Amino acid sequence: MNLQRSSLVRNSKPYLFMAPALVLAYLFSYRPFFKTVANSFSLVNFSGKIIEFVGLENYKNLLVDQNFQISLLNTFRFALLFIPINLLVCLLAALLVYRKRRFAAWNETLFMLPMVVAMSSAALVFRALFNPNIGVINYVFNLTIQWFNDPAWAMFTLVALGVWMAMGLDFLLLLGALRSVPTTIIEAAEIEGAGPVAKFFRIQLPMISPTILFIISTRLRDSMLLSGPVLVMTGGGPLRSTQTLVYQMYIEGFSGGNYSKGSTISVVVFLLTFLLILLAFRFERRRVFYQ
Amino acid sequence: MRTSQHIGNGMKAVAATLLGFVVVFPIYYTVAASFFSLHEFSMFPPRLFPTSFSPIHYIRAITESPLLRFMGNSLVVSGVGTIIRMAVAILAAFAVAFFDFKGKRVLFFLIIGTMMLPPDALIIENYLTVSRFGLVDSYLGIMSVYLLGPVQLFMLRQSFKTIPRTYREIASIDGCSDLSFLFAVVLPLSRPVVLALSLHSFVTLWNTYLWPLLVTNAPQMRTVQVGITLLGYVDSLDFGPIFAAITLMIMPSILLLLVLRKKIVAGIQSGIMVG
Repeated sequence: MNLQRSSLVRNSKPYLFMAPALVLAYLFSYRPFFKTVANSFSLVNFSGKIIEFVGLENYKNLLVDQNFQISLLNTFRFALLFIPINLLVCLLAALLVYRKRRFAAWNETLFMLPMVVAMSSAALVFRALFNPNIGVINYVFNLTIQWFNDPAWAMFTLVALGVWMAMGLDFLLLLGALRSVPTTIIEAAEIEGAGPVAKFFRIQLPMISPTILFIISTRLRDSMLLSGPVLVMTGGGPLRSTQTLVYQMYIEGFSGGNYSKGSTISVVVFLLTFLLILLAFRFERRRVFYQ
Repeated sequence: MRTSQHIGNGMKAVAATLLGFVVVFPIYYTVAASFFSLHEFSMFPPRLFPTSFSPIHYIRAITESPLLRFMGNSLVVSGVGTIIRMAVAILAAFAVAFFDFKGKRVLFFLIIGTMMLPPDALIIENYLTVSRFGLVDSYLGIMSVYLLGPVQLFMLRQSFKTIPRTYREIASIDGCSDLSFLFAVVLPLSRPVVLALSLHSFVTLWNTYLWPLLVTNAPQMRTVQVGITLLGYVDSLDFGPIFAAITLMIMPSILLLLVLRKKIVAGIQSGIMVG
């Protein structure tokens, strides 16, 4: 009897240790996820209660909603600008300093520094820098762009801010990858007469491709979820030109109190993030080189 | 050949430094602008260097706005949140790494699977949950959705698995209970990983924006990231107190980065601090 009890205690121990994590996973991830999916097929009242099942009605309404089309387009516009520019800038920075020489550590630190600034602070600073009348950017580059009043340019401020915030981390990842390419391979190529361009495209790029893929897929996810900088810096404007999916979800759900529509947008965001990452990994199998 | 390579290297160093200055400029400008006078902000061409070092904007930021209260709130949320988050992850990782039990893989993947459900896309239902619990405008409400860190759990499990299982057998023969084994053996052996994950967790919690914005209405419950955007100076040209506040916030982080640079770089490049 006693033995049985003690073995029962011992067997239940690991479950007890995992219980807090499981409860949290249920409460704040799975339950809200399934409820969000259920909401997207229902009419939901102001206190979040489902009133009736409406099938695909919410999705039909969403697809013809011009506002939503704009958000979807803007979100992709952001991703298509942000991801390549970010990769190019970080690669350039990493290529400039990956060979350890004098000042390399100093330069590394400079490139890492943006990491210490939180999103909302960075957004406030960029808002001042891009100020069309008295901002430093227009002055230094001798421009007269109305950054926040011109729908053609407002998105660019978000991209610039995004690249600046992502830089520290992505630079370090690429730097680590470049430094782990065996120097013997590079030296052999140099002896064979490979120039810097050939060296980069034939050796380094293939060997750091797993890191690049990782950066692309995490940044794709971040792009689909973009909302903070929009809230702080542009407010979705001018003329909705920087309104993104999660921003619209936030506005519809909380300012508009339209939980059905907000939830439907959520589900679209989930699907997009999931599909894009899946796509990145399909691509990986064909194009990415592993050591 | 040698000289041309030398010149190439020199040019690379110059280019790297130039790019470095561009990257750091927003930070430099924040610090410089925290000393501009109100009049200097509206000047064109804009100023790039402060002409005096009056602390007036710092004094205004602290006395005119609840900045210190915001910082205190963020400190509580990030500090306590990190402790709970690490405790939850450590317990679960301990179970997964040192015990064999039915359904272990399923339960483990259920927790890791939450990585696929980004919290920002769950805010509507999570808001309803938190408000039903009466946790709007409370520290627990702000922390709630961050208490489970799947990345932390995953990394801890990896680290715990490097500890030989025989250690546990020896410990249990010596009459050491599971929890004292965790505290006396496992945690000390995993100290670098635990510290790195805690630091990363603290920074993540400190930087969150959307969720704290949503679950706080009372000004005295705002975290600093949310509060700073609502100081009311933003829409006027009176940027001074904002730049002063941002400078106050980033200075400790810059110091920390400079001191821990090598460890942070190693942590990121080994994947611990990425999620």
